[in-house]
Amino acid sequence: VSGAARHASPAELLASCERALERAHAHGAEQADACAEGSRAFTVRVHGGAVDTLKQSGTLGLGVRAIVGGAVGFASGTDLSPAGLDDLARRAVALARFATPDEANGVPDAAAAGTPAPADLGLHDPAAVELSPDRKIEMALELERLARAADPRVTRVDGASVSSAGGAFATANSRGVARGWEGTSVSAWVVALAADRDGRQQTGVEGMSVRRLADLAPLERMASQAAKRAVDRIGARPVPSARVPVVMHPDVAGAWISEMAEAWSGESVLKRSSWLTGKLGETIASPLVTLVDDGTLPRRVGSSPCDGEGVRTRRNVLVDRGRLAMFLYDHYHARRAGTASTGNGLRGWASTPGIGTHNLYLEPGGESPEAILRRVDRGFYYDDQGSFGFNPVTGDYSFQAQGYWIERGERVHPVDGVTVAGNSLDMLRAIAAVGDDLAWKSSIAAPTLLISEMTVSGS
Amino acid sequence: MDPAPPPLSSLLPRELVAELLDLARSGGATFADVFGEHAVLTGFALDESRLKTASHSVLQGVGVRAIRGEQTGYAYADGFAPDALREAARVAARIAREAPPAATGATGAPRAFRVADAPAPFELRDPATLALDEAAKVSLLRRADDAARSHDPRVREVSASFSTSAREFLVANSDGDWAEDRTHLSRLVVSALALESEQRQEAFATAGGCVEGAYYASERTPEAVALEAASGAVLLLGAREPEAGSYPVVVCNGWGGVMVHECFGHSMEGDTVRKQTSIRAGQLGQAVAAPGVTIVDSGLVPWSRGSFRVDDEGTPAQRTVLVRDGILVGYLWDRLNATLTGHRPTGNGRRASYRDYPLCRMTNTWIEPGSHSPDALIGEVKRGLYCKKLGGGSVNPADGNFSFQVTEAWQIEDGRLTHPVRNATLAGNGNDAMLRIDGVGSDLAIDGTTGSCGKDGQWKPVGVGQPTVRFTGITVGGTAL
Repeated sequence: VSGAARHASPAELLASCERALERAHAHGAEQADACAEGSRAFTVRVHGGAVDTLKQSGTLGLGVRAIVGGAVGFASGTDLSPAGLDDLARRAVALARFATPDEANGVPDAAAAGTPAPADLGLHDPAAVELSPDRKIEMALELERLARAADPRVTRVDGASVSSAGGAFATANSRGVARGWEGTSVSAWVVALAADRDGRQQTGVEGMSVRRLADLAPLERMASQAAKRAVDRIGARPVPSARVPVVMHPDVAGAWISEMAEAWSGESVLKRSSWLTGKLGETIASPLVTLVDDGTLPRRVGSSPCDGEGVRTRRNVLVDRGRLAMFLYDHYHARRAGTASTGNGLRGWASTPGIGTHNLYLEPGGESPEAILRRVDRGFYYDDQGSFGFNPVTGDYSFQAQGYWIERGERVHPVDGVTVAGNSLDMLRAIAAVGDDLAWKSSIAAPTLLISEMTVSGS
Repeated sequence: MDPAPPPLSSLLPRELVAELLDLARSGGATFADVFGEHAVLTGFALDESRLKTASHSVLQGVGVRAIRGEQTGYAYADGFAPDALREAARVAARIAREAPPAATGATGAPRAFRVADAPAPFELRDPATLALDEAAKVSLLRRADDAARSHDPRVREVSASFSTSAREFLVANSDGDWAEDRTHLSRLVVSALALESEQRQEAFATAGGCVEGAYYASERTPEAVALEAASGAVLLLGAREPEAGSYPVVVCNGWGGVMVHECFGHSMEGDTVRKQTSIRAGQLGQAVAAPGVTIVDSGLVPWSRGSFRVDDEGTPAQRTVLVRDGILVGYLWDRLNATLTGHRPTGNGRRASYRDYPLCRMTNTWIEPGSHSPDALIGEVKRGLYCKKLGGGSVNPADGNFSFQVTEAWQIEDGRLTHPVRNATLAGNGNDAMLRIDGVGSDLAIDGTTGSCGKDGQWKPVGVGQPTVRFTGITVGGTAL
């Protein structure tokens, strides 16, 4: 129960799952699974040298998927009392009557789920749990102070925040699969503002989310990065439209692979709504490109011993040196496609499983970001972007962009008010260099990339 | 149909609420509020002509907020168990200990609450959330699926979903205000995938809002929504890539108002104005939009997702003029930021659920109509882009950089729409976007069906609107030069 000193344990959650399954059977489900989460989080935001908000969150919820006559019903809620679980199970069974029977519906058995990863993934950090509210306040204030102090042109800090969370997850099904695990996270963010001409301001954001406190970058580095990003943008202006080489900063490259991920979903491929439909085994990218989704990386934010259906996670190579090697599946779509789940059935307690990625990354290459920049005679260094501009059906890419104009291998002035466009297939093939600077700030990561040609639209 | 849950006021009796408000201020907070909520969410999804998802979720609990000066403490509990609520109130109260000494606040719980008696902005007699049972919802989806597939053989895949949210809340504060409200939202979304040789294109259309069951039988039938999605996808098969560059752009009425929401509205929210991180802070009385442009936010628009009787702090919804004839005349205020700056709250304190503290948010935001005919706005353009359907948009309120995805556009040549254009992205800076308006049409429409706005991780339904509006010199992203 939220408000208590700790979150529910995996064993407690599993007991609730088992009770929900028992009730689902009693109400007439042929197969069922249940998924439960319990977590606690504490977030600190500071502004102007003082606490702005403190928030404590506590989640405890459970969802039941019932299969009746081959059709699926789903119900979720936060009342985990015996009466509450019975109500969820009853509703899930009743809703299945309205769904379409489908022989691919079902839950994985123990063999399909595989044995859970034996190695300790290092997802739970006692130091993150013990990080006190007072210490988080100190850290956030320090982050804000350092960002202001980093450069006299930083006029304001639009908030600094530090949060930590701990939680447990459990999933169990009527074919004997029962899995539970625990994890923690710590995150810190800061936004620096720098005054620009005509009353304008420029922003610089830096932050990260990690499993373990020790993996958090030094506050000083985050603060100085945010400050540098803001002040380096002072005087930004558009450039004329042109087709030029584009150097993608790791943040922008990571956002691109995150947008592309849906194309690897077995569901999209079955429905032919993926731009990779029909291309399995073909060369779709430069030989420099190896794209991996791996839920077993120690200490990473997206790692877990199993997915939301209890299927063991693994390393999936999506693109192997340019060749489209595989698609991703949950249990249902794997059965539709005549294959096995790849451990990518992701879900929270309030949803049915859907295909998603764990830790998605582009393997680093051998060149330093500086060496990549020096290869560009005239082009665009692209390090920040807007939020909308990707077409998941065609792979077409067109984003509002910020960055720097490059002349003879040097960044010569900051640029804004432009867009950068291309098609993802063309862009993947045009990757001419892959940096050695892979760094993890979330569950998606990419190194610096050089794309030999994209369209910059400007004045 | 399920029996109705017990009313919130019986789960949260006044004595308990008064005790929680007292506990929340036990550390020296000057203001506290208690927000209780019971929400039922349902979802039905038809995909590949199969009803794949039939779901039901309940979210219920109580959030307690304690404020001292500029500082907020927040905690919540799922459910209504009094001990868990007391613990949440104590956690929220701890904020005051972190705060520097401030003027001593009033103590003691209010002895009597004043119940907000704002009238409902419109009468919802038979909300779709209650009027349509499971079988009726599935029938709407089947009809949409049939209509989309039979529109054109190139429509090869269709997804249709119907979702509802029935939300009841109660909010009471240490000043003695007590308010209760309920909102009933429903939405039908149809997306169609068209295939032709190597080409694939998708388009979607939506219906719904704070509407009655009869709306789906008369105003917006599943067939009409399906036709819009299917014909949109087929049209895009033959569309061309946009020309890169900066040139005149005419934006459609209705959902086109997402531009004023992003480019302008966010920078008018009281939190960023108070903290002076918004570029609009200190611009009261200045020209921020072209002459003739008037911008309004109002929670009173009939049938819209962005409307309500009282906001999530209990303040009655109202109409607020932000810009009158180009001049900035007012900001949007939630309770905290209004109090700190000496303003009155404008009914813009909104939270995603009891799990979140209120933020200053827009409700329904639009540009008032002007005098131009929409056809003339296009007819005067020698070479430009007409944006008929927009997707999502975003802005960074601090530096003003914005962008929008245009899902269906038309090339304008010598005042005529010549061919459809796909994948255009509009980019610019909010500092001057409203100053770049050089024509406002007479055809105001408010879209109360589509919008969801995200801020600090909290999503809220909103309405947006405008007449047809022309901008000069917007950067259009594309691959054609």
